[in-house]
This record gives sequence, structure tokens and C-alpha cells, in this order.
Amino acid sequence: MARAATPEMILVFRGTHQVLSAEKQLRKGGVPMRLIPVPRHLTSECGLAIRIPLAERDRAREILSASRLSPLSAHLSLGDGGYDLTPF
Amino acid sequence: MAEAVSAAIRRAGNPGRSGHVLSIRSARDLFSARERLARLFGCEDSSRFVFTGNATEALNQAVKGVLRPGDHVVATSVEHNSVMRPLRRMEEGGVRVTIVPAGPDGVVDARDMVAAFRKGTRMVVMVHASNVSGALQPVGAVAAAARRQGILTLVDAAQTAGSVPIDIPSLSVDLLAAPGHKGLLGPQGTGFLYVREGVPIIPLTEGGTGSRSESDRQPEFFPDALESGTPNSVGIAGLSVSLAWILRKGVESIRRKEVALVSELLDGISGIHGVRFFGPPDPSARVSPVSFVVEGMDPSEVGWRLEKGAGILVRAGLHCSPNGHRTLGTFPTGTVRVSPGPFTTRKEVARFLTALRKIRNLPS
Ligand SMILES: Cc1ncc(COP(=O)(O)O)c(C=O)c1O
Repeated sequence: MARAATPEMILVFRGTHQVLSAEKQLRKGGVPMRLIPVPRHLTSECGLAIRIPLAERDRAREILSASRLSPLSAHLSLGDGGYDLTPF
Repeated sequence: MAEAVSAAIRRAGNPGRSGHVLSIRSARDLFSARERLARLFGCEDSSRFVFTGNATEALNQAVKGVLRPGDHVVATSVEHNSVMRPLRRMEEGGVRVTIVPAGPDGVVDARDMVAAFRKGTRMVVMVHASNVSGALQPVGAVAAAARRQGILTLVDAAQTAGSVPIDIPSLSVDLLAAPGHKGLLGPQGTGFLYVREGVPIIPLTEGGTGSRSESDRQPEFFPDALESGTPNSVGIAGLSVSLAWILRKGVESIRRKEVALVSELLDGISGIHGVRFFGPPDPSARVSPVSFVVEGMDPSEVGWRLEKGAGILVRAGLHCSPNGHRTLGTFPTGTVRVSPGPFTTRKEVARFLTALRKIRNLPS
């Protein structure tokens, strides 16, 4: 399943408020992103996560750390439905 | 507001419990309401605004979540029972409580409050404006003095949130509670508590938050730390729409209108022989609820006549603040309370004054 033509990254946050705050800041900063349900096998966390193109990692990191919204964890999408834990 | 509630109730969806579209919509309603609260009260970080079912729940959380046995707390004599009863409960558990009396106009002197601070004082609690006399209290001066001495300030803004400008950071307030259903024009069953970052507070209710589900311990980050269980997202969707309206309109302009109406009301009442109002005569020193008594007539009789004769609905009796009434000398019979709001017109105030004159058998 070669779904991810462009490599993507999934950001998981502490809680719903933090996800939506991160969404707001990333949109304000012009980072293309999507709100997605947290993939079940990433964490047992219920709720939402943010998906961004891997190429946006640096910009996203800058924006999020400026608003004190560091993700709990970041995951690389492998394109085959699998994910690799990655530093953010 | 009613339409937003109705739309939300038909849509359903439990916020933050799932990733499906309805759950997201609902989570967004909570988020936007929180962001609007933060804007309204001058705060950067909206996560510090925790939703509650009403002001009472927020005040209980603040009082019982912060005070510990041995702590000393200072409060005014015009607090609502939603502050006094939790304080009395805490007193049984070893918290020491000092009540500072208000003057005959219902206003507490800031110097008296500060003079009551002592070693071990953990918190000062103040109603921003009394629901009995309408008197605004010197919260800014007391909070600033408290901050200098490392004492926390809890403000009960039930009578002022949405109708009197409040900038939380410049007020040096640590905790602030308000209902959604009064000046914030939201539905019943909504309210909030603001908790400044760094204030140690223990949740009164723990449980599911939709976060950290792998752990059986309550999360410590906000707002989840103090928000457990399914929230009233339907009511908060309505509150959010009301907050947007208030932000568009501007609290300053809402306040100007309130002061103008209260001024007409006080002038009118002063001109009716045998009717007396309470609280500061200066409309800029007070808020909307105007308490009054009609000589020789029980408040409930006045209330009944206003309703039957003119279709005007007022509250009569004791307004959940026995000490507030003792301060004004209106305990135990109470007062009649009339409260013009942002949708009240000058014509309605005039109609009320006519009805009051009629009760006194005076020509209208
Ligand atoms: C000064 C004051 N504090 C607290 C409350 C309690 O508010 P709620 O009914 O939202 O719990 C009220 C409501 O009457 C009030 O006037």
C-alpha cells in the first residue's frame, strides 16, 4: 500500500485542548496539517493527533515550542500503515 | 445561543473521547469557548479556564482544592453562600476563617481586608460585586497586597463576568469563578474556574478525561486536571456563541449601558416616597441588581404585585447571602431585587418605576 507519496509525520499530544491549540498555531503559521484520530497502535491515548508533511518538521517544531506545545511523541509514517517513533 | 444549544444537542458527540467527526465538532466547541473566555479576561493561555456546571461548583473547587488544615483564609461579610458554606465546612476541618465586615453601603474597606492578613494566611476570597447590594468591592487593591505577601486571591465574579471589564493578569487574581448563565448570557449548567499557572490545586472530582487513558492517575495538566467526566458540551456550545456576541459588543459598552439604566432606576426609586434602595448610590460603584424595600410591605408581596400588575419578574427575599443582608440590616425579611441587563430598555425601566409608584398608591 504505497499511500504516503510524501513522507508524513504524526504528532501526539497530551490532551484534546493541546491538540486543538497546536492545530490553531500550525494553521496560523501556514503549516499544512490534518487533524486525525490517533492511530490505535501508536498509543492507547483516545482522541486526536496531527498529521503534517515530514518536510514541515522544522517549521512545526519552531511554532509549537514558541507556544509551549511540544508533542508527547512524534511518529514517522512508513507508508505501509506502520509508524516509527522519531524525535521531534 | 438557544439555536447553538439545539444544534449541538441534535448533533451529539462526546468531546475528546474519540476521533470521529461528531466528537471533533464537540471538542471544537469547548476549545472555542475556552479561547473566547481567555480573550474576554485578558489571558494568553486558555487551558487555565476549566468548565464547571455553575459558579458554585467552581467556588467549591477553588476553596476545597487549595485550602488545607491549618491554613488561614480571609473573606468579606458579603460573600454568597456558595463561598460561605464551603468555608464553614473547611473550618470544621481545621481551616481558620476571618470574616471582614462591610460598611452599611455593602462595601468592604480594602485596608480592613489587608489588616486581617497574618502569618499562615493562604487565601483571600472576595465577591467582585455583591449580589445583594450590587456594591463593587475593592478587589484590585486587596489582590495586589495579597500578591506581595504571597497570598492567593480567589474572586467570585458571578455578578460581574461579562458586564464589568475584568483583566485577570492586571488584577493579580489567582483564581476566578463565574457562572455561564448570568452576565455571560449562556445557558444554565455552565460555569468556569480560572486557575493561574503555578497555583497548587487538588481536583474535587477525578475520572475520565479522554487523555492518559493508559494511566489510572489523574493527569496534572490543564484543563484535564480539573475536568473529569462528560462535560456539558451542549451548554458550552451555547455559551461559546454568547461569548462571541459579548466580545463583538465589548464589555465596556455593555457596562456603560448597565450604568445608565441603574442610574435611571436609582433616580426613580429615590423619588418614590416610602421606597428605599440599598448599596452605593453612585451607579459607577455598583452593578445591576438593585435591592430595595417598600415601607410596610413584605418583599414577596411587592414581588407578587409587580408580576400581577405589570408582568415584571423580580426576586424577593434573602438572596443566598445571610451575612450580606445582615450588613444592610435587611435580615431576615430580605429585599426585592430588580436587575436590568444588556437587553433591558429604558422604556422597561420606566414601566417598572410606574408599577412601583402604583404599589405605593402614587400617581404614575
Ligand atoms: C455572588 C454570587 N456568587 C455565586 C453565585 C452562585 O452561582 P451559581 O448559581 O452559578 O452556582 C451567585 C448566584 O446567585 C452569586 O450571585
